Order: sequence, then structure tokens, then C-alpha cells
Amino acid sequence: MANIAAKRIKREFKEVMKSEEVAGGDIKLELVNDCWTELQGEIAGPPDTPYEGGTFLLEIKVPETYPFNPPKIRFMTKIWHPNVSSATGAICLDILKDQWAAALTLRTVLLSIQALLSAAEPNDPQDAVVAKQYRENPQLFNMTARHWTNIYAGGPTSVWEFNQKVQRLLDMGIDEHQARVALSTYDWELERATEQLFC
Amino acid sequence: MSAESDMEYSDNDGDDYYYEGQDDCDMETVDRSKSDPEYFMFSCLRVEEVEKLLNESIELLSNSLQITPSLAKVMLYAYEWNAQEIIKKYKENANEVLVYSRVKPPMPQTQGNSSRSICAVCASTPPLQKYSALACGHYFCNDCWAMHFEVQIMQGVSNTIQCMAQDCEVRAPEDFVLSHVTKPALRERYQQFMFKDHVKSHPQLRFCPGPNCQWIYQAWVREGARRVECQGCELLTCFSCGAPHHAPTDCTTIRRWLTKCADDSETANYISAHTKDCPKCQICIEKNGGCNHMQCGACRHDFCWVCLGDWRSHGSEYYECSRYKEDPNLANDSQHAQAREALKKYLHYYERWENHARSLKLEEQTLASLKSRINQKVMAGEGTWIDWQYLWDAARLLKRCRYTLQYTYPFAYYMDVGPRKELFEYQQAQLEAEIENLSWKVERAETTDRGDLENQMDIAEKRRTTLLKDFLEFNTNNASSSKI
Repeated sequence: MANIAAKRIKREFKEVMKSEEVAGGDIKLELVNDCWTELQGEIAGPPDTPYEGGTFLLEIKVPETYPFNPPKIRFMTKIWHPNVSSATGAICLDILKDQWAAALTLRTVLLSIQALLSAAEPNDPQDAVVAKQYRENPQLFNMTARHWTNIYAGGPTSVWEFNQKVQRLLDMGIDEHQARVALSTYDWELERATEQLFC
Repeated sequence: MSAESDMEYSDNDGDDYYYEGQDDCDMETVDRSKSDPEYFMFSCLRVEEVEKLLNESIELLSNSLQITPSLAKVMLYAYEWNAQEIIKKYKENANEVLVYSRVKPPMPQTQGNSSRSICAVCASTPPLQKYSALACGHYFCNDCWAMHFEVQIMQGVSNTIQCMAQDCEVRAPEDFVLSHVTKPALRERYQQFMFKDHVKSHPQLRFCPGPNCQWIYQAWVREGARRVECQGCELLTCFSCGAPHHAPTDCTTIRRWLTKCADDSETANYISAHTKDCPKCQICIEKNGGCNHMQCGACRHDFCWVCLGDWRSHGSEYYECSRYKEDPNLANDSQHAQAREALKKYLHYYERWENHARSLKLEEQTLASLKSRINQKVMAGEGTWIDWQYLWDAARLLKRCRYTLQYTYPFAYYMDVGPRKELFEYQQAQLEAEIENLSWKVERAETTDRGDLENQMDIAEKRRTTLLKDFLEFNTNNASSSKI
């Protein structure tokens, strides 16, 4: 790994550890290996959002050319959000792409991702299905996102109705996550989700 | 056919013909712009000539504003090479010009937010003199600048490399970049990208799109279908949009047409015309037999193809299902019918467009074989090149006519139904007929009488120019009616 990259990451790691956000439990950063090329981030779901109370893990890969190129970051925790792929966890955020600046740090990036959870950009979606629901049926979107937070990120709000529907599909022998994706995609209409799964 | 068109031809243009014939020797250039509706002033330049041209603008600006050529480039790039405008605006409000060109940040930076004790990028602490900054005052160490430029240049960025600070859009001028980049290969790459960017940002210049072609066009108008022909690869290009030349069709229309043809959007139309979705599981079904009792292959649902109702409750009522006019499925049916109609229309134009494109390729072969045939004749002592020149001219003219004919099809496809379209399609048919006549005669050139062939050439070209004169957008006052 290039000298600059390792040096930068080491310093940023220290910066994050000392930051008030870590003290307040907002963000966390851990090393995955010894050569500083891979880290694991953690952000808390912001208050007054469907993600509240959830903890979201992020995979952070540091490229050889860091900080002149942005780090590669994706959600490891499954999340229902217009700018995050519900399948791969890929994030659509300008500072991770063309708006990256070498002076940005992991701390600012983690905080930007957390801010993205508070304010989605449905007009620049990563996941078209989620974005459509966000625009057309915001209430159902909120419920779905809360449900996902509860199941995958340890959020407090359990949605009884959704759990029941997932269970119905589980009884038919369908994989749990697959069932949840199908139901979320078809606005929790059991019949359409079933049709899609058995097609 | 040919007698009739001869008549018409002499009726309309007989006088003109005599007139032109008399003084075409000394009026050649004037004549060309009058007789050729596609005539367009342009020049074909070499890379060195373009470099000289760009340098003239750069020098003019840097001399009159007393700035470095490197800064002048940043400004010219931002203002699309309009040096006069920059000079004027600079005298009114220099700061605004510098901010707009992104030489300076919109707000003066406070010195505090970038220190020279530690480099914010690499976290090292080099001595004070090893830092540098752009006009925005964001100091970083020179090693980091060098790495930043290397990464950007390798990604193909040149004119628009920005400062490394967050949310800072100030651009790095050439001298600043080159003072940090030492590798010769990288410097060269940077300058190459820079030149390409300059040509692309210059409204009067356009690269010839031919593969590996080094020529660059210069022209002064950038709207409507404008024909430029490359001196190197002979490619015909539209100067305005860079697509293959497309008169009489305009730039927006040809783009729509080419995307339509390329992205197979008609597949969707086909599907909607020939298939229906299973009413139960929504899978797409193509009907492959006459029987209207359908069983879905996926979900085994039995239904009626005509009304999409369940077959079980259907059985005896079958013959009634087509009679209910107010049946909601009838609306569906008419949608199918519409899609089918749209598909038919598209295929009509597309087949002809494709056919002429293919003919054009074959015409290319005719041209090549004709050349060798003429060479043989000349070698065998049957006259000189000049004697057979007319054959060569005929084949070239044929190619030109067919080219225009090909591009009349997208034009007609997007035209509104009405008298203007009727007129267009009448002229198109006339042109097509004469082109086929000409093609026939060129292929049998040796047995055709020279006078007859030249007559045919004249008729075909007249048809072509008449059509272009009437319908090429910038030639008609009535342009709006031919727009979509």
C-alpha cells in the first residue's frame, strides 16, 4: 500500500477515535486487517427517521491511490433507502464519486452517509424500486424502512403485520430475505409478491 | 417516365440552365453556393494549424489583459473561446470573470482554514517552502499536488482539474500543473488531453469523427444540418451535431431516429402488438395458433384470448365475448391495434432506410470496380482518363444522390401528415425513380450513350437539389411546419 494512503488512514483513524461523534456513539470505525486497506464503519440511524435505533455496518475499502481517489464504501447491513441498493448495499453519494476531494476524511464521509439517511435524494436513486415507493407512498416506505431496521439493524420497532406476511411466505418454503424483498417491492401485497416468487 | 420528367425539367428550369451554362467559368464559387443547397463554408485544418489558431486567441487575451497564457487558457475554456467577450467583461468587472472561469473562489478564503504546518492530504509535515496553493489559498504539500495531478491526468482530466480542498471548485491552470508534474510521458499526456478539450470546447472547431483521422473542421455556423467533408478520410459529417451528415433531416430528428433504430425500442412495440399478458400471472404470451382457448404455460390458467376472461365461466358464452362493444378489453385491443400500426409505419421507413444504406455500400464497390475498368481502358489505349471522366463523375453523383435519399426517410417518418408531407413524399418518389434510372445506367455504363447518361445525371441531381432547397431547414421560410 502506498505510503501516503497508509499514513493518511492511520491519522484519520486516530481523528475518528478522538471525535465527539465516537464519544456520542454516532459513528465507529474498526480495522479489518493490519495493512490499513480495509476498515469497518458503523453509523447510528439518525433520530426522527425510520432508521432510528438501528446500527448500520459499512464496508470501507481504501484504494492504493487514496486520498486522491475516494474510498469504496457500501452498506453491509441491509437497508431500505432510495440511495442504497437493497441488494448490494452500494451507495449513491456525490462525494464518493465525482465530488470527492483529497482533503475529505473518513470522518466527514461517515457523517455524510449518516446525513443521507436523514435526507434521501429520491431524484438520484440507487434503487429505483425503493425510490418509487418513497415518492408515491411515503407512509408505506417509512413502515418498510422501519421494518428492515428492526430486522437487520436491531431497531426497536417491530411491525407485526409485516412479520406475519413474511411468515406466511416462510411457511411456503421461501427464503426469509427473498420473501421480505418481494413483499417490500410489491407494497406488501401478499398475492403479487407470491406470484412474482413463483413465476 | 423519363420523357415526362424531361418535360417538367425544361419547363421549370430551362431558362436558368442556359443562363448558368453561359458564365459558369468565371462565376464558379458564387454558383456553387447558389446551385448547391447544402453548400456550407468550412475549412479542414491540420493539428498544427489548429494549434496556431488557438494560440492566437491565447496570445491576444494574455497581451490585452496582461495575464499569463496559462490563465488565459482557463478563461478561454470557460468562455468558449470568445476572447472579445472576456476582454469586454474583464474591463467591466475583472473579479466576476475570474470567479466565473474558476480562477478565483467566489468568496475570499480565510487564511485560517489551511495551515502550512501539516499537509491535510498526506498528514506529513514538510518545511514551509514545500507547500503551494491556487488562488483559493488552500495549501497542500507539493508531493500531494503531484500525486493529485497524476491521478487526474491518468483519468483523462486536464482543463478541469480542481483544488484538493473540499467543495473548492478552483481550477488548476496549466503552469501550476506542469510545475508539479515531472514525468515526461505524463506531461505529454496532459497536453494532449488539453488540446482535445480545447477543440471540443471551441464552438468553431470539430474533430473529424473518422477512425484515426487527424483532421479538424473549422466553420462559423453551428445549427441545422451542415455538411463538412473530410480532406483525409472523405467522411461526410454534420458540423452542428457531429453525426453523419443527414440533410434534409435536422439534428434533433436524426438523433431521435438513430436512437430509435439502435435501442430496439420497436421490440417493445412488437411485443405489445403480438402478445398479451396472462390475466392471472401476468406472464407474456405470444399466440401461436388459431384457437382462442388459451392455457398459460406458466400458471396453467385457462382463459379466452379475445376477452381475457376465465375460460370455465366462458365456455357457452364464447361467441358473445366479441360482441360487447363497451367491454374494457376493447380499449386494450385498440391499444394493440395502435401499436401494430406504429410498428408497421416504422418498419416501412426503416426498411427503406436500411435498403439505401446497403445500396450505398454496394455503390462503393461499383465505384471501385469502375475505377479499375477505366484504368484498363486507358491502359489498352481506348482513350484517356479525361475521356472516361464522365463515368467516374456519374458514379460519384449517384453516391451523393443515394446518400441524400437515405436521409429523407427519417425526415418523412417524423413529418406530420398534411399537404407538406404529400409534397415531400412526391419529391422523394421522383428522386428515388431518377436515382434508380441512374443506377441502372451507371452499371451498364459502357453500353449507354454518353449523352443519355449525362442527361440522367443532370435530372437526378436537379431532383436532389430541388428537394433539399424546399425542405432543408435553413433554406425554407416555412421551416416550422417540417419540425416535429
